[in-house]
Order: sequence, then C-alpha cells, then structure tokens
Amino acid sequence: MADTKSGTGRYSAAGGSGTTGLSPLVQGPANLECKDFQEYLRTRQTPETLEKLYNYPPICLAVFRELPEIARQFIIRILFVDQPVPQAVVTSWGAQRCAKEQAEATSCLTALNVWRVTAIPGGLSAWELSPTFKKSVRQVLLGGGKPWPMTNTLEKDSKPRDIAFLDTYAMSRWRCVLHYMVGTGNRNGTDAEAISPDAVRILLHANLMKRDERDGITITRQGFQFLLLDTRAQVWHFMLQYLDTCEERGISLPECLSMLFQLSFSTLGRDYSSEGMNSQMLTFLQHLREFGLVFQRKRKEGRFYPTRLALNVTSKEAAATASVAMDEEATQDCGYIVVETNYRVYAYTDSPLQVAVLGLFTELLYRFPNLVVGVLTRDSVRQALRGGITAEQIVSYLEQYAHPNMRMVESAIQSKSCLPPTVVDQIKLWELERNRFTYTEGVVYNQFLSHTDFVTLRDYAQSIHMLVWQNERTRTMVVQKNGHDDVKRYWKKYSKSGV
Amino acid sequence: MVNVMKGVLVECDPAMKQFLLHLDEKLALGRKFIIQDLDENHLFISTDIVEVLQARVDDLMDRISFPLHDKDA
Repeated sequence: MADTKSGTGRYSAAGGSGTTGLSPLVQGPANLECKDFQEYLRTRQTPETLEKLYNYPPICLAVFRELPEIARQFIIRILFVDQPVPQAVVTSWGAQRCAKEQAEATSCLTALNVWRVTAIPGGLSAWELSPTFKKSVRQVLLGGGKPWPMTNTLEKDSKPRDIAFLDTYAMSRWRCVLHYMVGTGNRNGTDAEAISPDAVRILLHANLMKRDERDGITITRQGFQFLLLDTRAQVWHFMLQYLDTCEERGISLPECLSMLFQLSFSTLGRDYSSEGMNSQMLTFLQHLREFGLVFQRKRKEGRFYPTRLALNVTSKEAAATASVAMDEEATQDCGYIVVETNYRVYAYTDSPLQVAVLGLFTELLYRFPNLVVGVLTRDSVRQALRGGITAEQIVSYLEQYAHPNMRMVESAIQSKSCLPPTVVDQIKLWELERNRFTYTEGVVYNQFLSHTDFVTLRDYAQSIHMLVWQNERTRTMVVQKNGHDDVKRYWKKYSKSGV
Repeated sequence: MVNVMKGVLVECDPAMKQFLLHLDEKLALGRKFIIQDLDENHLFISTDIVEVLQARVDDLMDRISFPLHDKDA
C-alpha cells in the first residue's frame, strides 16, 4: 500500500497537546492515513467486534491470507489440535536465526485476537486459537456450514459480459467519483456522471472533501493526496471509509465486510446471483454497483458481475499481477507522462481526470486531442504544496505514470528515478523553501537567580522530555507548552522547600 | 525569582533569523514580536504573529525567486 504518511512534518507539532485556537502552522499538517487490512482491524476494532467478524468465514480467509507466512504456518499446524499448544512448542518450530520473524508473527496473531494465551496444567502458558476463528477457517478450508449467499446457480446469461467490458465499466464508474472530487464531473448533470448523495457523504466523512460555506463542497488536503494514490489503494481507502459509515445507515459492518471479501474471492468475468441476500445487503450491492465494484444490468436483476476493482480490494501481492494485466488492456493507465529537464511535462492522455490531476501541480499550456503540454513552475508547485500535496507525492505520481520511453533514457547520473534529477531536486527544494522555520509552541523561562535553580529546573524538564531548548550561560530554557504546568508545579514545590 | 513567558520557539538558519530581526526592528509587522533572541538559530516570538510572519516570508521568497524558464519558448 502506498505510504502517504511521508509528509515532511517539518513543523514540529506542539506535542499533541490538544491546544485550540492555534494557527495551523504551529500544528503539524494532517495527512491522509492509509491503512492496510491488518492495521484496520487492529486499530478500529475491539476484541469483541473482532470476535463478531470471525463468525464470517470469508473474513477469516481474508485475515488468514494477509498474515505473515510464519503466522499462517502456525495456524495450519494448530488448526486441528483440539487443545492449547504450549508456547515453548510453538517456538521450537522455527530456527533460532528466525527468532525475530517468529516474534513478529506471534505478536501479529495476538493483536488480531486470532489466538490467546491460556494456562495449561503444569503452570505452562500455551496458545489457543480463538474458537470462532478456528471454526470459520476450518469451514473455509473443508467446506460445510451455511452456503455462501452468492453461490446460487444461475441460468446462463443470454448476453454475457466479457472481462474487457467489465474493466471499462469499472474504471468509468470509479472515475466518476474521482471526477466529482476534482470538480470536472457534471455536478447537476446526467445520471451517467453524477454521484449519489451517499457517495458524497462518504467523501465528506472521509475528510476527502469538505463543505465550504462559500463554494459548496470542495476538496481537502487529504483529498489531493487521495487522488495521487493508485486505483487499488483508492478503492480500499474509500471502502474502509464506507464501512465506517455503514452502521449509521443500518447496514451491519460484519456482513458488508464479509460480502466484500467474498467478492474479492470470486472469478472475474463470471456472473453471480444476488438471490437470498437480505435487503441490507442488496442496498450494499447497489452502492458497490455505483462505485464500479460490481456490474449489474438493472437494479432489480438478480445477477451481477464482480469487477477487477472488487477483486483487487484485499491482497497486496495479487494487486501487482492484476494491475499489470490491467495496464496491458488499458494502456492509458500505464505510463503517459514525459518530463523533460526543462520542466516541461507532456502527457499523452485524453482523460479529463488525468488532465485535472496533472493540473493540480503543473501549469497547462496546450491541449491537443491526445496530448497535454504543461510546465512545472515554482508557482504551480507551490500552489499544490499549499493545497497540502507533498513534494514526495508529486514526484511519485510522475514516476508512477512515467511514459515507458522515460525509463529507457540513459542518464549520466545514476538515480533510481526515471525523472530528470534536476526536476526532482527542484520540486523538493520548492517544498523546503516553504519550511525554513520550525515552530514549537512553548514557554520560556529566564532570569533565574542562581545557577543551581536553573540546573535543577532544566534537569527536571529534561527528565519529563519537555525541554526544547536551553542555554546555561544565559540561564534561559524553553519548555513545551503542555509541559508548562508540570514544570511550574515542580518549581513551586522546589522553591518552597528551598526557602 | 523566575520570569515566565508564553510564545513560540522558532528554529531557522541564521540568514532567516536576521530577516526576522530586521522585521522586528523596522516594525514591519506593525509592532515588535520577538520576545527573546536566544541564539543564532533560535528566536522566541509571540504566538499570534506566526501566521502574518509566514505570509511575509512567503512574500520574500516570491520576490527573490525568478522564473526558470520562458513559457513562450
């Protein structure tokens, strides 16, 4: 998953003191956080809800697939053991030199509540798989249990849809959402272009867009960062935000998640039946249809095709292979950008979305049917930086969509990037130029009467990690704002006892 | 006795610090804002000035930069 947390964070935030009424400059900028599935489970879900989720075999399978290899090994080995397995035994399965990986796998399994520690007779501690998880994984592997809702057999579709059609459909639907975000979409227009109030609500909830008093709904800093992610990461982030809001809408989260994973395990180009789904799930299906994760000819039709967007939603490795396949089919999605050392950018595209994204950080000069020419200027890049995009994101976007020919150019300077080094450096310099100051909100202490007083207070501030700056000669020190109360209290106590 | 003042610690390079000192001296932002000059890389300034200051610095950077290329080329 693309790491979007690499914002420079040069403004040192005031220690998360929760201060209000402070200029945004002093507080660090909020960046888009993109979580993978494991992180999502770990941070958003309590052990009780995790247990609820594990009642659904598809979720368990997804969790299982995402685990580190050693962790999967552990599970398989103890899956059919009906009693707790001593920790020492589990540890003995791996070689000593892999102790670190083992520890990682162990803590991962614990964090996801897949197994827990129990005591066995003899005073040893042992691992025991969560019974729900165990039951569900066994079901996934061996069959049994209730049939999955999508598995009803269907009569053969009279007009079957092929993979190419599904890909185009999915991308066009997904682009609608993106178009809406960059504002090139037809806001009041036809139903092919417009997006539903539900989708807008999710964008607002996810902080990708915000309601502005003057100009209605506008894109946020996180929204810009979102646009620069690859499609798979976008869909995943968007779906997580959707899941956050689905309880409000009266749709059960475990059911949605389970269905989402079922879709991701399905076969591309095959049709599935929506028979037997409850009304909540049918609503969910309609939402998925809107975002392009499934194709359905008519709302009421009991037949749908999952698209590549739904299939790619979960796994990291699958994404690589799938996106390659996608690139071959839709050449416009792979490289189309050429960047020259004179800061000119040529983009071979006719997609208004790609032009709009490019327009976020370049000054567009000419537009032809299949080519857009722009130039990276200080002003255009600074405008993007002000909008919250980081230099790193601009560079990685240009790299990601660099034209294949860019990779073939031999450069005198060895660099990993296929972009001209001057351009990359300059974009980064433009960013640094804005951050020549580091602000830390704090409190200054000076005019100490004696050297010992100063040293005592300084050492105390240091011991609680609140000291920002000090100079012994001038007997001056600066303490973080949220540490002021502590230091003040300490000083009062100290000066009282000193007298 | 100890004197205590709230504000914002600014860390910057010496050149930028001189610029701030200059602004302070000439009352360019309407008033004095530097609470204490700490060392060559650090200043302690009042909190409410930060935003105005940042805009001012942006202005400066705009003035001392020149377009790298001709758009009509």
